[in-house]
Amino acid sequence: MNLGKFHDKNYKKLLLIPLILIVFSLIYLGVFYSNNQDVIYKDITLTGGTSITIYDQISIIELEEALSAELVDLNTREIYDLTTREQKAVIVETTTEGDKAKLILENYLGYELVMGENSDLEFTGSILSNSFYKQLIIAILIAFLFMAIVVFIIFRTVTPSIAVIISAFADILMTLVFVDLIGMKMSTAGIVAFLMLIGYSVDTDILLTTRMIKRKEGTLNNRIFGAFKTGTTMTLTSLFAFFFALLVVKSFSNVLTQIFTILVAGLVFDLLNTWITNVSILKWYVERKK
Amino acid sequence: MVCGEEKMKLGFKIWLLIIVFLLSLLSIFGMPLKFMETGVVITNLDSNNTLFEQGLRQGQIITTINEEKIKDLEAYTKIINSMYPTEKDIKTTIQTKTGEYILFGQEFPNLIVAKIPKSNIKLGLDLAGGSRALIKAENKSLNSEEINDLVDITSNRLNAFGLTDLKVMPISDLSGEHFMLIEIAGATPKDLKKLISEQGKFEAKIGNETVFEGGNRDIASVGRDAANARIESCGQADSGYACRFSFLITLSGDAAKKHAEITDKLDINTTSQGTYLSEKLDLILDDKLVDSLLIGESLKGRVETRISISGSGKGATEEEAYENTKEEMKQLQTILMTGSLPYKLEIVKLDTISPLLGEEFINTILLAALVAILVVAIIIFIRYGNWKSSMALVVTTVSEVVIILGVASMIQWNIDLPGIAGILATLGTGIDDLIIILDESTHGTILNLKQRLKRAFTIIMGAYFTSLVSLLPLMWAGAGLLKGFAITTIIGISVGVFITRPAFSEMIRKFKKE
Repeated sequence: MNLGKFHDKNYKKLLLIPLILIVFSLIYLGVFYSNNQDVIYKDITLTGGTSITIYDQISIIELEEALSAELVDLNTREIYDLTTREQKAVIVETTTEGDKAKLILENYLGYELVMGENSDLEFTGSILSNSFYKQLIIAILIAFLFMAIVVFIIFRTVTPSIAVIISAFADILMTLVFVDLIGMKMSTAGIVAFLMLIGYSVDTDILLTTRMIKRKEGTLNNRIFGAFKTGTTMTLTSLFAFFFALLVVKSFSNVLTQIFTILVAGLVFDLLNTWITNVSILKWYVERKK
Repeated sequence: MVCGEEKMKLGFKIWLLIIVFLLSLLSIFGMPLKFMETGVVITNLDSNNTLFEQGLRQGQIITTINEEKIKDLEAYTKIINSMYPTEKDIKTTIQTKTGEYILFGQEFPNLIVAKIPKSNIKLGLDLAGGSRALIKAENKSLNSEEINDLVDITSNRLNAFGLTDLKVMPISDLSGEHFMLIEIAGATPKDLKKLISEQGKFEAKIGNETVFEGGNRDIASVGRDAANARIESCGQADSGYACRFSFLITLSGDAAKKHAEITDKLDINTTSQGTYLSEKLDLILDDKLVDSLLIGESLKGRVETRISISGSGKGATEEEAYENTKEEMKQLQTILMTGSLPYKLEIVKLDTISPLLGEEFINTILLAALVAILVVAIIIFIRYGNWKSSMALVVTTVSEVVIILGVASMIQWNIDLPGIAGILATLGTGIDDLIIILDESTHGTILNLKQRLKRAFTIIMGAYFTSLVSLLPLMWAGAGLLKGFAITTIIGISVGVFITRPAFSEMIRKFKKE
């Protein structure tokens, strides 16, 4: 049980790792906020704008070069066939209003874009998307609050409950920094992924806390190790499942790609926050109570 | 004795899973099995179609035409094209699963058919294709009554335009804002934007002359309260029951004068139903005739600002007649209100989605799910070295997906992209819970197996309630466009906690006992 001894000696020091990361994340998001007036980059589903899908083979590099001056915040993506790698469609996103954007594209392509035939259009007004964004943020806050209440009801003790909540919070915080660092433009689906993350991060924490606090058999380290074995199996299966699903959908669906990317990142941080942050706080709590 | 009872209880949880699983398959594929059926399904036919008069309806399945079996859509098109159009009248017998319909003529009546869906699973617009718009009033917040009027008027107009596979409904979001959501399945109508961003144009004409138009200038009010609108004299008619309705509309002085001028020139006809003017009042919505009303002789040449509009509805029972009459009256009132809403409309969201990528998309998702489940099974096998447990886990997970789809088919919930994300989310948490069960059953020695499994469920229920409550806000946030995610996830985790996971724990117990 060398590992146990090492852990007994160093678990408080281990807390420094998440602590440093949390402080770094908060500073990063603070700077990010002052630069961008928000904590994420938003795509057109949250800022409002137009997304036009053209079912044709078009070079996106040439299109971007030609139109980036005319279409505001131009962003393009390609859709590939999974097996043949053949280009199926191009998605053009811009904050320019729908009809105007369509006209500019038609001039460039030299043919008419007929909705539902050779192209599709998605337009979201900026007032609506701003209100969507606000509501989704509220939804996440409410969800987080509900989660915290349920955790308190389950454990009925302050410190362990707070430990669970801190871990979930740290998961979200670190994942947020991650998506900003890779420059992901968040859509409504991305925000939903954060909501899913709350559920995923909490279940290993509940497992751990139940084993450590509510159970009495075995030594504390035994119980932690048992929970660790179960919990990492849980997280790793989800992680691998999402990772491989991500590889499959990557060229096809932006919505699912974003959800899976956020979940994969979130689960990696969850490993850290459950098995270092939460374990250390709980161990500290149990040792002090003795 | 105690042991015997326990054994029965054990069986029960697995049996429950099997029964729910089979019921779900039934709900998805129908009985007889949908994918075994041949023929084409009618997706659209007008109520003035001669076949409609004979009783043919949307949703019925055509199996043969002139005793030739219709295998699929191709066969249908081939037969119709080989027969029509013709120079002389020909007879065509159309056989559906429920009846036979006979046609005489040179042209085949306008009938839109499609291949029979392989299952009862309904896909959302973002997978099946279609268009969706979210509408609100410009610079004004509508209350729920106003939004309901708008929804009625818009449905009427879109129906008159010939769109039938559509949903128009009021929705509200977390901030209390009301919207009108329009969803049109299938191909995008050409002038969609114009169609949905305007209230529409209503005119009432006698012959070629316009008597009054929609809008406050001509129609001051349409009576809809108890004092100004009523259903009266329900009674037995030829073959069933019939009721009459009447409601008052108030015209402006100018419109009333015009009405008097035009009616003054008309003759009086006496029919078996009563005495009316020689021409009817035609109600025209966006240049399409939607209804014609007889004009009572007493109105001839009279300047009358308060006009009573009456009509009737029929039904097999008195109750049905009453309901139909109410519906008829509402329809007329709605038409008369078109164009008179005191605000402009604003499209806040407009999406068109081609069905082009739909099928491929679903294949991709199925592939992703398959890969994910396979990966999980491999990890579980490596971790526990027990193929039985791995198999049980895969079986449980797959049955969870089937049950979610079964419930969705049963409640006719459309599976959209957020919904699929929800199913994936459920699978993730589901597998997590199965691992807890698996581990708790092998872990610790002081307690017996049953107690250990019970403890597993304490953790699972805790996680269940945290997930459940965190999903609730999504039912309303973002105008409900992400509701699909919340619904499928809630179905999924509930099915998991109450059906599949208890059954899984039973399977594990059985394995341990062996």
